[in-house]
Amino acid sequence: MNPGWDFHAIAPEIIISATIIVVLIADFFFQYRRRFQTSQLATIGVLAAMVPVVTLAVNGGTRQMFGGAFVVDPYSLALTGFFLAAAYVTLLLSVDYIGDGDYYQGEFYVLLLTSLLGMMVMTSARDLITIFVALETISIPTFVLAGWRKHDPKSNEAAIKYYLIGVLSSAIMLYGMSLVFGLTGSTLLRDIALAAPRTPHTSLLIVAVFLTLVGFAFKVSAVPFHFWVPDTYEGAPTPVTAFLSVSSKAGGFVAMLSIVFFGFFAVPDTWQPALWVLAAASMVLGNLAALRQTNIVRMLAYSSIAQGGFILVPFAVAADGHAARSSFEAVVIYLLIYGAMNLGAFAVVIAFARRTRSAEISTYGGLGSYAPSFAVLMTVFLLSLAGLPPLAGWFAKFVMFRSVLDAGTPGATVLGVIAAVMSVVAFFYYLRVVREMWFHPVPDSVNPEPVQIPLALNAAIGICAAIVLIVGIYPQVFARIGELAAGG
Amino acid sequence: MAEFVIFFIMAAVALGAAISMVLARNPVHAALLLVTVLVAIAVMFLLQDAQLLAAVQIIVYAGAIVILFLFVIMLLGVDKSESLHDPVRSQRPAAIVLGVVGLAELLFLVGHHWATGTSSGPGLNDGSGGNVERVARSLFTSYLWPFEVTAILLVVAVVGGVVLARRSGLPPQQELELERDDDDTEPDAMTESTSEVSAP
Amino acid sequence: MTLASVHLTDSYFLTFAAMLFSIGAVGLLIRRNVLVMFMCVELMLNAVNLTFVTFAKTLDDIRGQAIVFFVLVVAAAEVAVGLAIIVAIFRRRRGGATADDIDLLRG
Repeated sequence: MNPGWDFHAIAPEIIISATIIVVLIADFFFQYRRRFQTSQLATIGVLAAMVPVVTLAVNGGTRQMFGGAFVVDPYSLALTGFFLAAAYVTLLLSVDYIGDGDYYQGEFYVLLLTSLLGMMVMTSARDLITIFVALETISIPTFVLAGWRKHDPKSNEAAIKYYLIGVLSSAIMLYGMSLVFGLTGSTLLRDIALAAPRTPHTSLLIVAVFLTLVGFAFKVSAVPFHFWVPDTYEGAPTPVTAFLSVSSKAGGFVAMLSIVFFGFFAVPDTWQPALWVLAAASMVLGNLAALRQTNIVRMLAYSSIAQGGFILVPFAVAADGHAARSSFEAVVIYLLIYGAMNLGAFAVVIAFARRTRSAEISTYGGLGSYAPSFAVLMTVFLLSLAGLPPLAGWFAKFVMFRSVLDAGTPGATVLGVIAAVMSVVAFFYYLRVVREMWFHPVPDSVNPEPVQIPLALNAAIGICAAIVLIVGIYPQVFARIGELAAGG
Repeated sequence: MAEFVIFFIMAAVALGAAISMVLARNPVHAALLLVTVLVAIAVMFLLQDAQLLAAVQIIVYAGAIVILFLFVIMLLGVDKSESLHDPVRSQRPAAIVLGVVGLAELLFLVGHHWATGTSSGPGLNDGSGGNVERVARSLFTSYLWPFEVTAILLVVAVVGGVVLARRSGLPPQQELELERDDDDTEPDAMTESTSEVSAP
Repeated sequence: MTLASVHLTDSYFLTFAAMLFSIGAVGLLIRRNVLVMFMCVELMLNAVNLTFVTFAKTLDDIRGQAIVFFVLVVAAAEVAVGLAIIVAIFRRRRGGATADDIDLLRG
């Protein structure tokens, strides 16, 4: 039995793997003060990996390997492209942050790229074991990254908390997978989809699927599996937090998409009720807790829990009515837009922290008077997160509500109402920061002298702002990607 | 019959050791009890025709992972007894209730024949060669792709371990300064002393 | 029912694995010592391994045994990183600290 390699299909993964090895080795040979060059190597690798993604997308079609465990189709390519772009922006955010810290350089990029590799493997994984290995490849480097500032007790605590909850959830997930294997006789999602409706033990299948989903609920920080999020986000270095809240979270959602839509779609009873509860709880608790925060990173942490709840809504209604297709599209589109606006918001937080060394919302007072361009961009990102037209966030909310309408069942309607009410609540905490920036005086502790913002950081903010504005005005760009991902 | 007796003894040993491990006050005792559980499970692997895994279980788990635990205990000198007093009072009963409910649910489902799938994979005794050869064939065909990914995963685990555990990447002089800061300052003041590397 | 008529079926192994898994999960939640918490995770992963091996036998599918290798490898990688995090923490607070000193999951 020859596994039959198709090197074009795995070219992006090969390029990233090669970059990991090159960065690791090159780090030995650079002079101590020239270590920043490793970041350039990493950036070149990420950009190079986009080339085969584009050529594969142009060639079109579906490529399969390893008996269907690895599939390259428009869905996986769209998300691989998203992960590469998000990693590129994260690299831009990290360059000066890590450089200023005077900590080891090369290893940071090795860990970041490995996590990226895990995400790329995840997008094309159609097999429970590949999904498990991909999830661990995403997680293990991020445990280390969260504890990057070894001399800071907060960073230590962020790492150990994140680690313990990560390994607990992966153990629970594996137990669920082992039961799925016993019930269906396979780990391939394709075979599971055929065998799952035929199993006589529906109750055991519910337990198995639920345990499997728990692992991903931790990863996407859905309530009630969210309690690591605020502390870890606050304690980890901010570029890492941006990476965790966008890429790592999206990795969990991609795994959920594959498992729910390709594995268990024919047996909605096993996952729909659980995901409904997760979606509702995340939206309510995330938004209400965000109202009380005084630290912007903690506020964005709760905001990302709430946004995760909005992304879970299409999952929870997917099997109702004729929502299957539109909910799949909604998840993909929401992920792409959420990535751009959340990375943008974190980029401004990092730039602002270069000036004040603070993340308290009160120190943002009067930002509009002495740094109007930053205040405008922050306003754009926050209002986009709130879902105000004509910024990209409204389109994300729109596709989410469209899937709810397509479903049309009472359960879906209730969830839609919760989502609508919570979208209004979200306005309050996003607008509080905006009000602070434009209508409050500059606090005494803040020195309004201009500081040098590095080029890379400006570029990152610019890229995110461009995406948020362009997609907000011409949503067809992402709508088309969503349609292609959902199958043509 | 003989198999049943072996299983029963091993199950009793493993459960006893597992419960004592959870309750052990001394981490060294816990590690030794963990080895007991692992060996009992290795015997169960033998009962299930998994000869290779039984050997790997002993070599990798008992031989490498538990040794790593013991090394860390030795390195850090944390082998002092720990009081089992719980600072978070509500958590312990909640945890036990949760565990019992979960266990009851699983046991309730055990009465049936669990494995209802029809396997499409190669059987335990198909073809030529022993257990090792058949496991290897499966590993290098069905699971070749995740197998390749684990190679990178292991490399990065080593890198991550070294990054966190070595003293610092700083030149020796600055490293000494950082360590002196550590000694001089209370943990609460730590954020100040490292503020040059810690934006929020 | 005489003892000789008792046969070892998969249910015995699966029940045992379920109990081991629950002990590990409860232990992880009630203990405060980080090292013992790690060991509880190993207990849970071993329950998973036993479940996979049992299904491999019942389904007559060798893939169940191959999967255990992935669990082993990932467990080893996790332990290496986790212990490194502990070492980093205790490096910073020298002077006879016990693992109890780490404020875990208290907020």
